[in-house]
Amino acid sequence: MTDKSKEKSTEEWKPKIIAFLCNWCSYAGADLAGVSRIQYPPNIRVVRVPCTGRINPFFIIKSLAYGWDGILVSGCHPGDCHYISGNYIARRRFAILRDLMTFLGIEPERLNFTWVSAAEGERFAKIVRKTVENVKSVGPNKIFNKKW
Amino acid sequence: MNFEPKILGFLCNWCSYAGGDLAGVSRIQYPPNIRVIRVMCSGRVDPKFILSGLQVGIDGIIVMGCHHGDCHYLEGNYEAEVKFKMVKLLLSLVDLQDRIHLEWVSASEGVRFGEVVTSFTESIKKLGPSPLSGENFDQQLLEKLKAIELAAGGERLRALVASKRIIMEEGNIYGEKISQEELDEILISAIEDEFLRQQILLKLKNEPLSVKDLSQLLNIDSSVILKHIISLKARNLIDYIKIEGITPFYQKL
Amino acid sequence: MNKVGAVLVVGAGIGGSQVSLDLAESGYKVYLVEKSTSIGGVMAQLDKTFPTNDCAMCIISPKLVETGRHHNIDLIINADIREVSGDAGNFTIKLTKRALHVNQEKCTGCGVCGQECPIEAIDTFNEGLSMCKATSVKYPQAVPLVYSINLEKCIGCGICYGVCKAKAVEYDQTDREIEINIGAVILAPGFDEFEPDSIKEYGYSKYRNVVTSIEFERILSASGPFAGKVLRLSDGDIPRKIAFLQCIGSRDMKRGQPYCSSVCCMYTAKEAVIAKEHFDVINPTIFCMDVRAYGKDFDKYIERAKDEYGVRYIKNRIASILEIPETKDLKISYETEDGKIVEEIFNMLVLSVGLNPPKDAKKIADVFNINLNEYNFCETSSFNPIQTSRPGIFVCGAFQGPKDIPETVTQASAAAGAVNVLLSEGKNTLITKKDLPEEIDVRGQPPRIGVFICHCGINIGGYVDVPAVTEYASSLPNVVMADRNLYTCSADTQTIIKEKIKEYNLNRVIVASCTPRTHEPLFQETIREAGLNRYLFQMTNIRDQCSWVHMHEPENATEKAKDLVRMSVNKARRIFPLERMTLDVIKKVLVIGGGITGMVAALDFAKQGYETYLIEKKNELGGISREIYSTLEGGNVQEYLDDLITKVKSQKNLNLYTSTHIEAIDGYVGNFHTTIKHGEIKIPVEFDHGVVIVATGANEYLPTEYQYGKDPRIIRQSELEEKIYKSPNELHNIKSIVMIQCVGSRNEEHPYCSKMCCAEAIKNALKIKELNPEINITILFRDIRTYGFKEKYYQKARQVGVLFIQFNENQEPELKIENGNLNIIVKKPDVGDISIKADLLALSVGIVSSRDEKEELAMQLKVPLNDDNFFLEAHVKLRPVDFATEGVFVAGLAHAPKPIEDCISQAKATVSRACTILSKDKIEAEGKIARIDPTRCTGCGLCVLNCAYNAIELQEDRRFGTIAVINEALCKGCGACSGNCRCSAIDILGFTGEQIFAMIMGRE
Repeated sequence: MTDKSKEKSTEEWKPKIIAFLCNWCSYAGADLAGVSRIQYPPNIRVVRVPCTGRINPFFIIKSLAYGWDGILVSGCHPGDCHYISGNYIARRRFAILRDLMTFLGIEPERLNFTWVSAAEGERFAKIVRKTVENVKSVGPNKIFNKKW
Repeated sequence: MNFEPKILGFLCNWCSYAGGDLAGVSRIQYPPNIRVIRVMCSGRVDPKFILSGLQVGIDGIIVMGCHHGDCHYLEGNYEAEVKFKMVKLLLSLVDLQDRIHLEWVSASEGVRFGEVVTSFTESIKKLGPSPLSGENFDQQLLEKLKAIELAAGGERLRALVASKRIIMEEGNIYGEKISQEELDEILISAIEDEFLRQQILLKLKNEPLSVKDLSQLLNIDSSVILKHIISLKARNLIDYIKIEGITPFYQKL
Repeated sequence: MNKVGAVLVVGAGIGGSQVSLDLAESGYKVYLVEKSTSIGGVMAQLDKTFPTNDCAMCIISPKLVETGRHHNIDLIINADIREVSGDAGNFTIKLTKRALHVNQEKCTGCGVCGQECPIEAIDTFNEGLSMCKATSVKYPQAVPLVYSINLEKCIGCGICYGVCKAKAVEYDQTDREIEINIGAVILAPGFDEFEPDSIKEYGYSKYRNVVTSIEFERILSASGPFAGKVLRLSDGDIPRKIAFLQCIGSRDMKRGQPYCSSVCCMYTAKEAVIAKEHFDVINPTIFCMDVRAYGKDFDKYIERAKDEYGVRYIKNRIASILEIPETKDLKISYETEDGKIVEEIFNMLVLSVGLNPPKDAKKIADVFNINLNEYNFCETSSFNPIQTSRPGIFVCGAFQGPKDIPETVTQASAAAGAVNVLLSEGKNTLITKKDLPEEIDVRGQPPRIGVFICHCGINIGGYVDVPAVTEYASSLPNVVMADRNLYTCSADTQTIIKEKIKEYNLNRVIVASCTPRTHEPLFQETIREAGLNRYLFQMTNIRDQCSWVHMHEPENATEKAKDLVRMSVNKARRIFPLERMTLDVIKKVLVIGGGITGMVAALDFAKQGYETYLIEKKNELGGISREIYSTLEGGNVQEYLDDLITKVKSQKNLNLYTSTHIEAIDGYVGNFHTTIKHGEIKIPVEFDHGVVIVATGANEYLPTEYQYGKDPRIIRQSELEEKIYKSPNELHNIKSIVMIQCVGSRNEEHPYCSKMCCAEAIKNALKIKELNPEINITILFRDIRTYGFKEKYYQKARQVGVLFIQFNENQEPELKIENGNLNIIVKKPDVGDISIKADLLALSVGIVSSRDEKEELAMQLKVPLNDDNFFLEAHVKLRPVDFATEGVFVAGLAHAPKPIEDCISQAKATVSRACTILSKDKIEAEGKIARIDPTRCTGCGLCVLNCAYNAIELQEDRRFGTIAVINEALCKGCGACSGNCRCSAIDILGFTGEQIFAMIMGRE
């Protein structure tokens, strides 16, 4: 162990969570949380995508491979998709992906799929809190044990 | 045993403190209950000074400054008057308004200094001991006073008090003067709001409570409590913590 | 006389915004004048919308942003119109823009002034349920996001001036007079809600737990005062039992308005459903007279409300409301269906208030010199529902009559369509186009990234260590400069950004500040002005999603901001210029269907000089309206139809083909190619066109019920109408007519309402009574759906003695023929069976659409049909006449059953929607679209199935065999195809896999 990592292990572990948010609902919901100054844990890093339908399963797998401790994917509520049906497609895709990942031994708590509308700033903050809790409950991501 | 009240005096350095000295030089006798804190100007007396004094069980507080027009710092005593008035309004919500007093005493009024202190001491004697001292200590009142202190220290009341005099006397940023009555009305409603909100916050600090709980604890109509809960929630000071049956509970964040 | 190519739109709700966008996109300069301080109107206040339960804010907010930013829309907020002079084609308007006391150009909407303001005011956007400050913005997502000072409340303390770091507060701002010159006016001032204070019996403002439906809407809203918790106002508890009272101030001659407000039945059902969705303990009960669910898919919604959400309907008005002082519950007494009076206790009461004309309707009428109708709504005729009494002035939305969002949006586009016809010679004369420098070719250059980090006054700088983030940014690979600004969005910073691009030879720009949703277009415009391609820009959100939400942990917020900046830099290193493909537009139109709808649309296109092809399957024009003689309001349909046909036949630029069959339609928006065969000998014709209007209509249902066809005394309503107008003598010997409503409608086979049958029955009944008052007429109905002003005729029918008897859904009237007499038996739970003898039985049959007839066209155009075989529009609320497939539009009965005036509205709406394409020589496609790597594509076709826009096709390729090909004109760049591609052959430009992986991998 290098000195730096030793130092790290002594501090409180702050999970890093990558969040894929669809541009039209969830990203807007996250903005509303901001405008309403609703506080939530600073562990997420947002990647904006046009639609949850855009999210390739590889994005999730690569995120875990590259050491992100948890994933949050949030799109529009069923029926609200800006692109008509993108979120339905995404929903089916992630249902399968989640099963596969669980099968591979990845804790389901790392994979958080949900939806948040543009009016749900409050809900967005809640979901982030819940996600951080979920990820904290399973500890750091050591799946691939890759050095950085 | 006779009740000997503890009285705190905030005296401005240039007039009232000098007046107090003159009383001494002139050997004017007055009751020994007063303990004096010297400040450079009565305008320095932060409402929180008075409110924290009352919280530790002082029976009466008197603030003394220069007569209008005499202020060493030009207008400090005018500011003192506006602040004092707000404190008085706040204290009237818990019926402690008679335990504080503001008086103008100049450097040459040694005799008057003695009279002022004597009469204030008498009036406090009549009132009896502070409910925040001794055996009949009123815990609820203490909490209310804390709420008042927080309200008086809050941005909203400070902003109103700080701008009141200039708006009344010189005109606001639009160049209009607003009457004292109108401003007092705004101030009073702000005082009532902030006092209640601070009380709610203090209650929610310790445990999650529902609107109905708060209504009972504070003896205020539950629909009024709900209005303030909404305001506090909008400022992200409190949040829903749980729902029991049909009743949401709130907690301070 | 010259026609001015500019338009004034009054009112910026959803209707006004839609008109403005349509016209601005069609080549007109638009002045959008709004009397409040931000646009969005009532729709922005709503939580969800029926019948899809779409989140109102999610769907309206992109539209508002677009309206606010459009370079041909001049948005004038906080303004009143004072004077109107001139005539159609050339008006002069004088208006007053009231002072905001905040400089609109400088205000960044950061909100510090509002936080610091010591004065509280009632928040009208939240319907008084919460407080706001004297310095405030209407709602957090408001467009424009400009604060203003409420002078009635402001005490002038001067704090906001001091705390505003953008120096936007200007106390000495004064009202400003503006004069504009325009060619046409569209009035879209909306409505005001009925105020129930005047009716004491309801206890509104006396009992705490009685609220109006619009207040309840804010209570439901996730961004409302209760954050979406349904709480009652007396004690903040969740009400277990909520009663909704309908028709408050509507259909109430004495205390409110006599007309029906059209939307309350549906919004009440929606509010009940959403309340139940929020908390399962809530049991909603709706008290109503009729359930008027007459729109597309509305009845299904009501059925779902009843079956899935357990919403209880009680068809009665209530007798009294009393508050129980101890609990503040409400005791309601009402009559049950079997005639008993019962009392029931509810925890909360919602008054479904009706829609009133805007409070300033009279003033509007005076200023614009237009007529109002008897209810103070704008007067229009039934064959032209958007034309006011003054030429050149049009109306849309609720000011014309109470209506829902899709009808408002339709009318808005219809009004825009009418403007297109009126001002076509002024088109493209007043719009501005920016002169932009040539784009710098950055190909082959290593990335040179400039990062601009925003303090946003204290909004970011107060919590995030901006200097540290700036320093960190400058240490990242390929970053050649990093700078920080007080407000990166201010006009002077735009100049700085342009200078830095020159100075450092930047070829990528990152701004770390607020949200790209509102500000990305601004910065993209800036770098484009400096010669960089728009897509060489990245935005990092370190305010809305960082500093504002981690105010108490500055260190962690700073760390997060650094991460976000690094992720953006990683992406920026891999971004490249994108081109927006331009397509030529063929300025010709295909209109399918020669009924009223098709003819109205075709005429309006041809009048503007667009070559138009109108094709009709049958050998004569007119469609279903050939069987209609009069509208309920008394309009002469046959006269109108004849006039229309004459005009169509003589109109220049209009090519008419009857007895036509479409052989093929190929192509896409702007470039369609169609082959038809027409006439008896099937002459083939081919032509190109840029847009398609689908107006194929629908048919009257041919009943199997009630022995129809077996007895000449049993006829359809349309046959009765024919008798009335063609052979009224046949009615002489008749003593009793019974009409049965909903025959073949609202059942399992046809689970929808046909919207027009109630009006038909009442229209015929009134006409017969006029011919012979001695004839007894009985109408058997489930709900009488005379929505809007049609209610007047329902009242009139009752006055002249038409008997209305309600029957239950499960107990349809029975027909018994005894001794040659027609006897109709209705079962009533309160009085038992009623038997009525009839000389004539008229069946009110609905409108049906057959899959066999529609499917071929649906396949040819690649557009969907719904379960009831009507065409399915792109979005039920906001794109009611568009298809998801661009360049194809739908109107009339092909879309859903509706009366003639609605068909005309929709026809004109398609004209406007199509003109947004036709008015341009070239259209620009989205730059961020899908791209297929042909070497990887296996041609499996999965993406074709996933694409909601029909933008992907399988094609034969010389080198690769069958592969998927993207139609760049149709692709919206959502990426649904990409995420499902089994061989990673599809990438999304602007969000490529490489770019996103770079963000993922730059974890620390």
